[in-house]
Amino acid sequence: MVEILEEKKGKDGRPIFVIKKSDLLEFMRQKKQEGFDHLSLITGVDRKDYMEVNYHLYSFSKNQYIVVKVTTDNLTVPSLISLWKSADWEEREQYDMLGIRFDGHPDLKRMFLPESWVGHPLRKDYDLNNVQYINMDEYGEDYATFDPGDGW
Amino acid sequence: MSNLVELNMGPQHPSMHGVLRLRLKLDGEIVREIEPIIGYLHRNAEKLCEMDYFCDNIVYFDRMDYVGAMNMEVGFLEAAEKLLGVEPPERAQWIRVVAAELNRIAAHLVWMGAFGLDLGMLTPFFYCFIEREKILNIFVELSGTRQQYNYMSIGGVYQDITPKIIEEIKEFIKQFPKKLEEIANLFLKNDIFLSRNRGLGVIEKETAISYGVTGPILRASGVPYDVRKEEPYLVYDKLNFDIPVSQKGDNLARFMIRLEEIRQSVKIVDQAITKIPDGPYFNPKAKKSLMIRLRGEGEVYARTESSKGEFGVYIVGDGGVKPYRVHVRSPTFKNLSIIPAVAKDKMIADLIAILGTFDLVFGEIDR
Repeated sequence: MVEILEEKKGKDGRPIFVIKKSDLLEFMRQKKQEGFDHLSLITGVDRKDYMEVNYHLYSFSKNQYIVVKVTTDNLTVPSLISLWKSADWEEREQYDMLGIRFDGHPDLKRMFLPESWVGHPLRKDYDLNNVQYINMDEYGEDYATFDPGDGW
Repeated sequence: MSNLVELNMGPQHPSMHGVLRLRLKLDGEIVREIEPIIGYLHRNAEKLCEMDYFCDNIVYFDRMDYVGAMNMEVGFLEAAEKLLGVEPPERAQWIRVVAAELNRIAAHLVWMGAFGLDLGMLTPFFYCFIEREKILNIFVELSGTRQQYNYMSIGGVYQDITPKIIEEIKEFIKQFPKKLEEIANLFLKNDIFLSRNRGLGVIEKETAISYGVTGPILRASGVPYDVRKEEPYLVYDKLNFDIPVSQKGDNLARFMIRLEEIRQSVKIVDQAITKIPDGPYFNPKAKKSLMIRLRGEGEVYARTESSKGEFGVYIVGDGGVKPYRVHVRSPTFKNLSIIPAVAKDKMIADLIAILGTFDLVFGEIDR
């Protein structure tokens, strides 16, 4: 059985379900059977000591909108790619921006930045002074290089 | 045994609508595998938003969908105003609807012209841009700029709409439908255009839903989903308009949906422009000197219908004067993810035609 830790309402009136990370896949499967066929958004939020992942689900037939929230300490969350295809790019984006690893994603690589980029920009401890440049090699692969020194 | 040729298309390519790069595997002229690679216009607007006051964030949204910036501003303000607890006065809401719908017409005209160019039709492009220019001239008077307006602000709009601008909009609306039919005829009476698009790039309803596709593409596949009807924001519930839906799901259906949407937007502007009530255009709670002191706590997701699909903004506030986390649900980002499934096993020239109907704007995909 899925245990709902907390059920609250957001400022916009949408129900928010807080559940355990281990129950996520089971809970989402139930919700999909209930008619939530549209995974709209996956948002990771860096809360400094832990990471919070919000899933926004919508049902076309019922015109209902819910938010499912899980927290993770070790930066891993189960992937939902088996339920919704749109989870693919959403999860890759969150991996790129926050470094959250989605277990079971077949091809988890960065969405916007090149693979050699150091750091995850949307983390609160990301060093903005670390200037990196993107180059393209002769095979058309992108790679990131560092600012050599004093620079600007 | 495989004799597939690997081809790199983009990021600099005339038919890529910005900086999309496709890694293709070709079997002769047939595309067997497609991998979109994006990020060449990535500025990380979400991080920039975290570093600025709520009222200053609007400029980053202007630069997302740069052909439909008014819609982006509406989308951000729907979320931000809920979070900050500032309600725009009624006059401002009507002005926003007029501006957003005019911008939707302009954005669809840009798409229509560019789609013609993709298929080798040069003439409609100019006709579309002549009409779009008239809308942009109205926006210049309204906000001062042609494309990145920064016109709406928290608690209203930055400048009132004058009777002169209202007259100009009325004049535009009066002459536009005739011109639109002229443009549509350039496409729809062209046999080559019809035979190239009919039955091409069919997206099934289930596939579209699974990939999270929204907007005209989803409506062309038979789902009557439009946020303006499902969850009306601003004053859309007081306006009378229809949502065009098609069951075919091919290129031509997507063209017809967008064409009909322009007509519906004309209808909306026509109604809204006469209904703008008198009163303040700005909520005094958010006047300029107080604006940077507004604090937001909690989390808000607001969705709006931009010209490309469901544009959602998710803001988390920690009680400070700056947002803690902003996440943008950009419609074209999700629409693009269906390309590998749709354009597989098609000719490479058809891939361009299918991409053309997706209305890609890279400011929004890469953010």
